[in-house]
Amino acid sequence: MDSIKIKEYKKGDSSLNLVTGHLKAVGTGVKYFVKPQRITLKYPEESLSLPTGYRGMIRLYKDVCIGCTLCAMVCPADAMKMATDQGKKFPTINYGRCVFCGFCVDICPVDALKETGVHDAAFSSRRELFFSPDKFNQDFDQPPVELLVKKVKAVIDEEKGIKYVPDTD
Amino acid sequence: MTDQAEELMKSGGMEIDVIPVSGELNVGPQHPGSGHLRIYVRLNGDIIEEAQVEPGYVHRAVEKLGENRNYIHLIPLVERPAILDSIHMNLGYIMAVEKILGVDVPDRAQYLRSFAAEISRIASHLYGMGILAIFIGHSTGFMWGFGDREVWVQILEALTGARITNSYVIPGGVRRDLTPTIVEMTRKAVTYMRRKIKDWENIFLNNPNVKARLQDVGIMTREQAIEWGAVGPNLRGSGVYYDVRKVEPYAAYSRLDFEIPVYKEGDGYARTLVRFEEIQQSLNILEQIIRDIPEGQILSDRFFKQIPPTRLKKWWEGQRRVVMPGYYASFRPPKGEAVTRVEAGRGELLYYVVSDGSAKPYRLRMITPSYRSIYVMQNLLKGVRYADLVSIYGSLDYFPPEADR
Amino acid sequence: MMNLLFDLRYYVLYPSFFNSVIYPGLIFTAILLLTTIWFERKAAARVQMRVGPYYASKRLGGFMQLIADAVKFVFSEVIIPEGVNPTLFALAPVLAVAMSFIPLSIIPVSVIPPSGSVFSIYFRDFYDPNIGMGVLTGLFVQYNMLLILAIESMYPVFVIFVAWVTNNRFAIVGAVRESYLSVSYDVLLIMATLSMSLEYHTLDLAKIAQSGIPGILANPVAAIVFFIAMLMGSARFPFEIAEAETELVLGAYTEYSGFLFVLTMAGSYVGNLVYALVFTDMFLWGWYPLSGFPGALLTGLKASIVVFFSVFLRAVYGRYRIDQALRGGWKYLLPLTFVSLFIGLVVGYIWIP
Ligand code: SF4
Ligand code: SF4
Repeated sequence: MDSIKIKEYKKGDSSLNLVTGHLKAVGTGVKYFVKPQRITLKYPEESLSLPTGYRGMIRLYKDVCIGCTLCAMVCPADAMKMATDQGKKFPTINYGRCVFCGFCVDICPVDALKETGVHDAAFSSRRELFFSPDKFNQDFDQPPVELLVKKVKAVIDEEKGIKYVPDTD
Repeated sequence: MTDQAEELMKSGGMEIDVIPVSGELNVGPQHPGSGHLRIYVRLNGDIIEEAQVEPGYVHRAVEKLGENRNYIHLIPLVERPAILDSIHMNLGYIMAVEKILGVDVPDRAQYLRSFAAEISRIASHLYGMGILAIFIGHSTGFMWGFGDREVWVQILEALTGARITNSYVIPGGVRRDLTPTIVEMTRKAVTYMRRKIKDWENIFLNNPNVKARLQDVGIMTREQAIEWGAVGPNLRGSGVYYDVRKVEPYAAYSRLDFEIPVYKEGDGYARTLVRFEEIQQSLNILEQIIRDIPEGQILSDRFFKQIPPTRLKKWWEGQRRVVMPGYYASFRPPKGEAVTRVEAGRGELLYYVVSDGSAKPYRLRMITPSYRSIYVMQNLLKGVRYADLVSIYGSLDYFPPEADR
Repeated sequence: MMNLLFDLRYYVLYPSFFNSVIYPGLIFTAILLLTTIWFERKAAARVQMRVGPYYASKRLGGFMQLIADAVKFVFSEVIIPEGVNPTLFALAPVLAVAMSFIPLSIIPVSVIPPSGSVFSIYFRDFYDPNIGMGVLTGLFVQYNMLLILAIESMYPVFVIFVAWVTNNRFAIVGAVRESYLSVSYDVLLIMATLSMSLEYHTLDLAKIAQSGIPGILANPVAAIVFFIAMLMGSARFPFEIAEAETELVLGAYTEYSGFLFVLTMAGSYVGNLVYALVFTDMFLWGWYPLSGFPGALLTGLKASIVVFFSVFLRAVYGRYRIDQALRGGWKYLLPLTFVSLFIGLVVGYIWIP
């Protein structure tokens, strides 16, 4: 164990410190007012592309799945359940329960499940949240990228914290 | 006019006690300064005579649910109480499971655990500071806390695949490896944070207004802190040198060089300073980790060997992430029990897991740092001014869901 | 026809009407109020890594958001809690706002030259013997400094009234805080004003502004004290103590909703404007060296900047505790006012004719 240092801060500012403290605080405020450091994403116009490996919504490749039920067993939220479809077992998913832990994707021995990276799907009823194997077998609709949405990606910047740069690929 | 109002008017409405010489106030559960918590305050003028802290509004029965789920299913569940510090919540539990299983964790995974944990600590402290700031009315501190936290959340997202519900640590290792992109992101984030901390000091820490609200408020002496069972930064703010990372090193902490900031005063400002300096120490730790991290596997050999070779090729060699062997779906650890402690963002977090040889834990006990703050807060609130309620609450960094579990 | 137009112009521009209804009274204040709140939100957002109001009108920087909010508030339900007197409950905020508007018609915002200005026809009616010119103000009183402060010091009474009719514990604690605060800032305001009046040998704001010597140079101490007292008086940060969202859930205004809530909020902003106008006249030269309508605009501009700066402080400070604010007021600022009195006496004797 290294040396123990118990620090004390200086209490009771002199009135000079008080004045400089106030001035510095207001000065910092003014500094940011003049040169703001904004990290707001203007969402509907700019859409964030997510890093590879983002655990978004999941899709199933029905032809690959071997019906081993491991995904249903590992699912912590009981979102994934097995259903029989034409004599074969396939997973179904209920997005009302899924917590996007990605365990099912990680455990599938044949990689029949895939994380899509879509995270902003909308549903109009709770029933729609349930995906039968056939529905589960499809890609998600991507938002109309060209029209309105500008795809950006977040990069960390030494000055601004987070910067959004247009995502080229 | 309602009946009551008429009654009031007959007597001129004069029997309403205009100045609550003594009276009760229900701070919470729906109050902008309470969170999911009720503080029943008895006021005498401006002085709080007694405050009863009543938690339980976000109780989720994590411990009971734990007895009905497989070990692996509990990973996302134990994260939920302190979602903004989820790596630590996850880590403590997994360490307990590993103890029962008797697995060794490879070095690289240990470093990665520390890496994720320190990022989580920074994010959690920034969150706590933001809440403290808005409690005392400092909205910039609030927004900055959350805005700067975003930087770290982005790194966690790139590393683990989720912003806050990371579920990153699994028995035997971690799920994903550090990539050059993440190393680069971290370097930049560290530089950024060091720069931003100067402005944080100017506008928040050294702001005479903030100092006035925190200094000499909620003083907890060294003895009281020990007696009341304070943990983490709250304990260290009272001059007690105690940090699980030093006392009982886990993950890679025995190989990392860092200091534990300890302040003597025991007031809200000391606690805030401790948090603040811990952020700086965490930045140092992160730099050390990305410099020193050893090469190697990130999952214990025992599980690594069970992954089908085709998958290994695709995931581990292709994307630097390990996948789970089927074993995880419902493994049965041997009979046994384990206690682990980790230093979570808010303090010592204790897990006690009992296994009876089945696929579900027989008992899961988690003692969260905020849980330990309830008593501290109740004691500190006695005899302070009403306006100090929020600054004491904020300076303890109490997080109701974490206490309620 | 020409006659009618002329008559109309005569009455519209008549200072008693013009000042209390158009500028700087109701209409200007309402617009400035929205602008101030917009600025407050935008400025805080800039400091706080955000954008602030934006989507309601992108080109105007989200200014229309304020209008939208106002409309929303007007049409949202006014909830009257049980056990209060509904008449008083509805009346209280209205009275408070009405009260806060009154001083606007007494503050001189410009001078009227004998000829050459649109206001010159009223020269004689608003003649100020102290400066030998007309004064553009709703009601000219030679002792307007005192009158303004006297009326403005009534405002806290109405805040307490608001709290009392809502019969809510949080509101009452807020009212108690407001009453403590009001005593301390009123003293500071009056002392600062007094030192200025000693310095300029007058109780007439117009004379101070028209003297051509900016008060902030002649007596910086008084200016500082007045500014801080203004922040206290209009519940700006760091003295937003009586409202204290996280402690008292907006204090006196806890129970208000809908349109009545807007009124309660408006009161403190109007108060801020009143103080800012006085501050401008007293310390910032007011309209000098302009006169007539341009002079009035200059005064308004300076006052707006003062208001903007005081709302900007939201982004820098939290709030003090009530005892700290009181201690600051009585222990540190009150002695400062004695210094400013002394400066006022000395400088007034040496420098100011
Ligand atoms: S992501 Fe997690 S919660 Fe969702 S279906 Fe897969 S295992 Fe279940
Ligand atoms: S784990 Fe994979 S192969 Fe097995 S049932 Fe699920 S999707 Fe099919």
